[in-house]
Amino acid sequence: MRTLDRKLRREFRSAFGRLLAVTSIIAVGVACYVEMESCYTNLVDAKQRYYTRCRMADFSLEVKKLPVSELSLLSRFPEVLELRPRIQFFATVDLERAPRLLNGQVLSLPDRPEPTINDIVLKRGSYFTDTRDNEVIVNDGFAKQHGLSPGQWIHLILNNRRQELFIVGTAISSEFVYLVGPGAITPDPQHFGVFYLKHRYAEEVFNFEGACNQVLGRLTPAAKRHPEDLLRQMEVILEPFGVFSSTPLKDQPSNRYISDEMDGLATFGKIMPGIFLSVAALVLNILMARWTDQQRTIVGTLKALGYGDGQVLGHFLKFGLTVGFLGGAIGCFLGFLLARWVTGIYGTFYEFPDLRNRVYADLWLIGLAISLLCAILGTLYGAYGVLRLRPAEAMRTRAPRRGGAIVLEKVTFFWRRLGFSWRLVLRDVWRQPVRTGAGLFASAMGASILLTGFTMHEAIFHLIDFQFRKVQAADLELSFKDERGIEALDEAKNLPGVDHAEPFLSVACTFHFGPYRRKGSITGIRPDARLTTPRDRDGNRLRIPDAGLVMSRKLAELLHVSVGDVLTVEPTKGLKLPRRVPLASIADGYLGMSVYADIHYLNWLVGEEFAVSGVQLALDKDARNLRRLHGELKELPGVQAISARADAIKNLEDTVIKTQKTFIGLLIVFAGVIFFGSVLNSSLIGLAERQAEVATLRVLGYGPWEVGGIFLRESMTVNLAGTLLGIPLGYRLCHWLADAHDTELFRIPVVYAPWVIATTLVLSVVFGLLAHAFVQRGIHKMDWLEALKVRE
Amino acid sequence: MPADRPVLLRLASASRTFQMGEVAVVALRNVTLDIYEGEFLVMVGPSGSGKTTLLNLVGGMDQPTEGSVWYRDIDLATLSTRALTRYRRETIGFVFQFYNLIPNLTARENITVATEISQDPLDPDEALRLVGLEPRRDHFPAQLSGGEQQRVSIARAVAKNPELLLCDEPTGALDFSTGKQLLWLLLQMKNRLGKTIIVITHNVAIGEVADRVVRLRSGEIAETHVNEKPRSPEEISW
Ligand SMILES: Nc1ncnc2c1ncn2[C@@H]1O[C@H](COP(=O)(O)OP(=O)(O)OP(=O)(O)O)[C@@H](O)[C@H]1O
Ligand SMILES: [Mg+2]
Repeated sequence: MRTLDRKLRREFRSAFGRLLAVTSIIAVGVACYVEMESCYTNLVDAKQRYYTRCRMADFSLEVKKLPVSELSLLSRFPEVLELRPRIQFFATVDLERAPRLLNGQVLSLPDRPEPTINDIVLKRGSYFTDTRDNEVIVNDGFAKQHGLSPGQWIHLILNNRRQELFIVGTAISSEFVYLVGPGAITPDPQHFGVFYLKHRYAEEVFNFEGACNQVLGRLTPAAKRHPEDLLRQMEVILEPFGVFSSTPLKDQPSNRYISDEMDGLATFGKIMPGIFLSVAALVLNILMARWTDQQRTIVGTLKALGYGDGQVLGHFLKFGLTVGFLGGAIGCFLGFLLARWVTGIYGTFYEFPDLRNRVYADLWLIGLAISLLCAILGTLYGAYGVLRLRPAEAMRTRAPRRGGAIVLEKVTFFWRRLGFSWRLVLRDVWRQPVRTGAGLFASAMGASILLTGFTMHEAIFHLIDFQFRKVQAADLELSFKDERGIEALDEAKNLPGVDHAEPFLSVACTFHFGPYRRKGSITGIRPDARLTTPRDRDGNRLRIPDAGLVMSRKLAELLHVSVGDVLTVEPTKGLKLPRRVPLASIADGYLGMSVYADIHYLNWLVGEEFAVSGVQLALDKDARNLRRLHGELKELPGVQAISARADAIKNLEDTVIKTQKTFIGLLIVFAGVIFFGSVLNSSLIGLAERQAEVATLRVLGYGPWEVGGIFLRESMTVNLAGTLLGIPLGYRLCHWLADAHDTELFRIPVVYAPWVIATTLVLSVVFGLLAHAFVQRGIHKMDWLEALKVRE
Repeated sequence: MPADRPVLLRLASASRTFQMGEVAVVALRNVTLDIYEGEFLVMVGPSGSGKTTLLNLVGGMDQPTEGSVWYRDIDLATLSTRALTRYRRETIGFVFQFYNLIPNLTARENITVATEISQDPLDPDEALRLVGLEPRRDHFPAQLSGGEQQRVSIARAVAKNPELLLCDEPTGALDFSTGKQLLWLLLQMKNRLGKTIIVITHNVAIGEVADRVVRLRSGEIAETHVNEKPRSPEEISW
């Protein structure tokens, strides 16, 4: 077989372009698979390790005030392994260098290091010392942003008093893998920090001696899976202490974000590689089928010389397996590099102590196996057609391809207008249904991937516009530590730079409808509010009814309520009287699950005169006023949190949009490989098959550009037709992905934008032309005299 | 004809029909023919008369639709694919009408591809020398003229050192003197090595050196002519 191997080697060299095209498509498919699965596994593993290391709580219970001695009420449950009382409050931070008050969350930690639930991982400095009571450990992100280091002093406003604290260390914790402040959707270490205090010190400053307002707990593995009933029982037991809520790990904000992301990644990680690998399998199939078919007479000759079917098949398999192996190996390696890169990007907004990319041998093997399998199937499919022939038959020069008129020619008025080359093109496209089909499929997939990427990008801008310019138009939102009366609004109006102020009331509650139950909150606003305007799908303002709720579509779906239904609302604070409330309309939105009501109606529901939990402000654009405003806010007591729209938008742009651009860039490259690879492959196959035709045309006096033009027209016809098919497919894919990413926190709209379609078409043409450049080069280089001479 | 020699091949009412959609093309009709060991048989006949078809049946490249083709006491018509492969490998040397060289193998490699699987092959270089192409051993088919390609094809068949040499128009592209050299070569194979040779040709002159000439017409044997005194290549002209 040595001589045959030599033949193989020469074939590899002469079919280099075709092989490159197919190999790169396979490689991209495998890379995509390895990359996404690796990232997924990296995240899962890192999360697992981190949760174990920090003894991540399986649930938390938020109470008004619970004496620590009463914890035994809960430890009696056999499912409970471990409990920890914790004191937690929101606080504001006053940094001299920062122009405005910053938001923070204060958590108590044991005074001495000990294994504890929701433990921290120290990054710099040390744990608390015995030197002083007022020591603080700051979360590492915030410290880095503001240049804080152990040994410095910092001021927090705790329980309405300004306290000076000594920084002993910086740390991260598994509770805050994705650290977002209340109401935010992206991490904002600039404006939100976590501060760990000694438990004893926290008791003192918050007047919580011997008490806590949060219980963290770990459960037996069985109870972990379905903690809901257990938590409800606990809530009942803690009723006398003013229980606000219970949160299973599943609903813990940071956990929720990363779980949603991982679910999305899991879906994406199946769809994308699936697309690439199916294109690769098809293209490889065509390549192998065409290649073996071209070898028809050679197979006949070999068989006549006494080679057996097995030997010939082995020869073909070597070819296929080399392609498969190369594609698989390159893909695995590329996938590894991509995974390292993307994991690095995840590392910028997910804080893990050790998020690493590793080599997963099983993934590599699967990737390689998929690639080899595609290659083997392609080879067998191609080889079968040739091998089943008797040598005498195989050696007869092939009957000319099916001639005769194609269906299109019946449309005579159309056909007669076509020039000779267009007729040639259309006949060839028509008579090679498999190859044309594969080309259409590849282009359609390439186009749909491009379109999906662009549409997702457009979606984020739409989301920002909808959410932060239409629905929430306030420049600044202040929430108070305790609810206040109407006077708070007048105060706010008189702050410098404030053009307009509106009150809001936020009431945490549980919604019941039939068997369905959800926690959430209702935001009370004035019916004529300008700064918060719930909207329907088309962006039209919804009227705030005198009585009844305006509910976000997602929550309505989860509760299975529709407009007109009456549901039960049970506030988690105050008198907690259940109320029956009608659903007046459905609002659309992409973040969270807001519910709106008239502020007067909401006050009436909870039995208040007129309480506000915060104000929303529209500011004038004067920078000096803004500075003065922030200066005054620093002095204002009772402000629990400040959120600025500009920060939220900037954060979204810095994180989500930046990473999205990277991913879209990657998708464009991948889609390009598909377009490029498939056009190149089918054109080069065409060129190889039609050497004689090309030679004849050249003899007749056609120049290389004219001959190339025929090939270009052919590939562009298929490419553009495929792209056009791919556009609706792409939108289908977008909807599919949007559904997969449809979570309680975040939803992605599918936006139809003309530029998306235009860019997809343009790129499809560009990639097609790029591939054609290689074909054109092949035509220029082709020795057509030789092509005329050799008889196969 | 030396009837004392044992029969090597026997076609017994062999027919080969090709089904082309609705129409059936009868390429061979009920052919009965014995071929003896060590015989030099020439087959002539108009184009499309079934010569190549007959050669394919004898060479184990194809099987009859009816009747049998015996090689010694084996009926080729009943052999499995595997057994047919072995038969071709061990017994047959084929010179194809259209040369059938493998385009991306050199002249020498086109020969080694055959000798590598043969049991008792000649040295490929020796085979090339026999057809006078030794200097062109490293050239690819596209770099050879039609006649040179044909000679490589002959060298390939000869190099296998087969018991049965089947040549389909081996001199079609050759000039007078090369053709004669080739005839020499074939006669040597027959006389010195005792090979059996079947040659298809349009060239009447070759018939004069053969032991027997069979003429086919429309898939049937129209005439058989036994040369009592075959000539030597020097004596003929074409
Ligand atoms: N695989 C096939 N399918 C259909 N018809 C065939 C096939 N092989 C041969 N034929 C037909 O059988 C007949 C005999 O063909 P064959 O090749 O044996 O002729 P030939 O005598 O060798 O002719 P030539 O001198 O032109 O080579 C022809 O009519 C040919 O068309
Ligand atoms: Mg013939």
